[in-house]
Amino acid sequence: MSQGAPLRRTFVLAEFAGPEPLFAAARKVRAAGHTELDAHMPYPVHGADEALGLKRSPVPIIALVGGLAGVVSAYLMAWWMNAVDFRINVAGRPFDALPAFVPIMFELGVLFASLAIFVSAIFLFGLPRVHHPVFELDEFRSASVDKFWLSVRTTPDAVAPLREELERAGASYVGSVEGEP
Amino acid sequence: MSVEIRTLAPPVDPLEPGPLILGAPDDGELNRELLEHVYHPRRGWALLFLVAAGGTGLLVLGITVTLLVGIGAWGNNIPVAWAFGIINFVWWIGIGHAGTLISAILLLFQQKWRTSINRFAEAMTLFAVMQAGLFPLIHVGRPWFAYWLFPYPATLGVWPNFKSPLIWDVFAVSTYFTVSLLFWYLGLIPDLAALRDTARGVWRRRVYGVFALGWRGSARAWRHYRIAYLLLAGLATPLVLSVHTIVSFDFAVAQLPGWHTTIFPPYFVAGAVFSGFAMVLTLIIPARKLLGLERVITLRHVETMTKVLLATGLMVAYGYLVEHFIAWYSGNPYEQYVFINRATGPYAPVYWLMIFCNVVLPQIFWFKQARTSLVVIWVASVLINVGMWCERFIIIVTSLHRDFLPSSWSIYKPTWVDWSILFGTIGFFSFLFLLFVRFLPAVAITEVKELRHELAAHGPAAGHDAVGVPLAEEESQS
Repeated sequence: MSQGAPLRRTFVLAEFAGPEPLFAAARKVRAAGHTELDAHMPYPVHGADEALGLKRSPVPIIALVGGLAGVVSAYLMAWWMNAVDFRINVAGRPFDALPAFVPIMFELGVLFASLAIFVSAIFLFGLPRVHHPVFELDEFRSASVDKFWLSVRTTPDAVAPLREELERAGASYVGSVEGEP
Repeated sequence: MSVEIRTLAPPVDPLEPGPLILGAPDDGELNRELLEHVYHPRRGWALLFLVAAGGTGLLVLGITVTLLVGIGAWGNNIPVAWAFGIINFVWWIGIGHAGTLISAILLLFQQKWRTSINRFAEAMTLFAVMQAGLFPLIHVGRPWFAYWLFPYPATLGVWPNFKSPLIWDVFAVSTYFTVSLLFWYLGLIPDLAALRDTARGVWRRRVYGVFALGWRGSARAWRHYRIAYLLLAGLATPLVLSVHTIVSFDFAVAQLPGWHTTIFPPYFVAGAVFSGFAMVLTLIIPARKLLGLERVITLRHVETMTKVLLATGLMVAYGYLVEHFIAWYSGNPYEQYVFINRATGPYAPVYWLMIFCNVVLPQIFWFKQARTSLVVIWVASVLINVGMWCERFIIIVTSLHRDFLPSSWSIYKPTWVDWSILFGTIGFFSFLFLLFVRFLPAVAITEVKELRHELAAHGPAAGHDAVGVPLAEEESQS
């Protein structure tokens, strides 16, 4: 970690036993003016998007574009290879045989859409990122097991009031870490 | 294990199915219990692993002989030019299909019972497709030129023929493997993070940490994750149907009597699901015991799978019936002869074994006693896979060995190399599977926790999820 770098951020992390107290706390903290909130949960729970004020995911559009790209490129490939560059006469059937190209157009459509979904999801997750400041806190390991964590990105002087507020909201543990965002 | 496992009391209402999760574990307990087999493998694991490694050795031997001698080491020759290579390919691909059905199609239909078995079944898909992929590879005769199957800018200026089902197959199988792998890995990421966070020892944490890619269970990530997972399921669903359809085109598009029939695509897909579910049962019945998963893989799961076996078995039987009817109805003597020859010719014992295993045997699952007896189910599931292998043998060998011209008729016999490659792939499959259950969670822990949360939140009475929520109520909730 570089010393005194302006990019350093403070994260206040609060542990909750279940999703409902976490969402209630998130709404309170948001109402208090904090905007950079995140929740860390062992499994997805309905209500998180609304409590944290998150927008819809763009993954479906990316998947559609990927799928169409796959279908079109499969047709262009089959057409160019079999009807233009290297004509194969199969019992007098047309060289540009769309119905016979459908299986590969379908397969490549699925393949491109799936790759687009996977790559864009990993990118949108902000991964791969093997280290993150929240991992500095050993208690945070429960976030992937059975506890629900709220993380608020803030400035060092705001830590103390926030800690108090989160404890009042029912957090069983509150800690803070520093690091690059 | 410290947890008490309650035995299943017979439900009062016969229409009310048993529980999906036994007892009332909390998330932490589930996490510990489902990772137990990764942290403390049972002693039997090493022994099974050695046996599977021996089987893999047999595969290496068979492939080495094939490479050194050539395809002549196999029993196939004209007129049966296609034999074990394609029989085993179709058999393994079919086995893989149940994994996708469980993980994708049942997810879309919101079948909650899929949750404890989907990871397991997806792993089965991946490993089965790997076995399947080996066969065309070594069957091309010169596997070092296998890349000729793909369109690549060759100096000869030649491109593949995109009107051929064989090239469709190349694209279908490689797409299927890739999509299955992505789907499996995406589902695995949160569980890898749980492994990273609970593992003891720096190295384990590091290795699992690298594969978890830094997953923090962030709500921002879950938002994309849910939709990505659902979309991949939506794409895998038509994909799985297309793969076996295209595999069946390898036969149906040919003019050979016994192959040239329009029932093939649906009949192949039903057969694939049938054999795949049988394989899931063959693996899961011992695994739930050995890995201590009885709490999340209950009798309800096993019983539901036997019902799927019964249903798909009936579809397969219908396929046989239509095939025979159309042969008779066509009035074509060649077509009719193929089917008479199947039942009465030199391969008749294989045919009747197929009829017994695939048509007669699954009928036991009309009875509750058979659906709840693990021994009966296990034996039946093994026999069903034998039957499905026989089906592919019958389709391929009997159609080829006596074709249009009696002077070219001949009898096909597999060699020891054929058998060692077949049994070798079973060994290699088990080898990969044992590695999987040794190092990765066999049950999708994240999804089971989510299911537990849903059951607890929507259960009609507090604590009702302790004995599971009846299916009828689950459905009215969703």
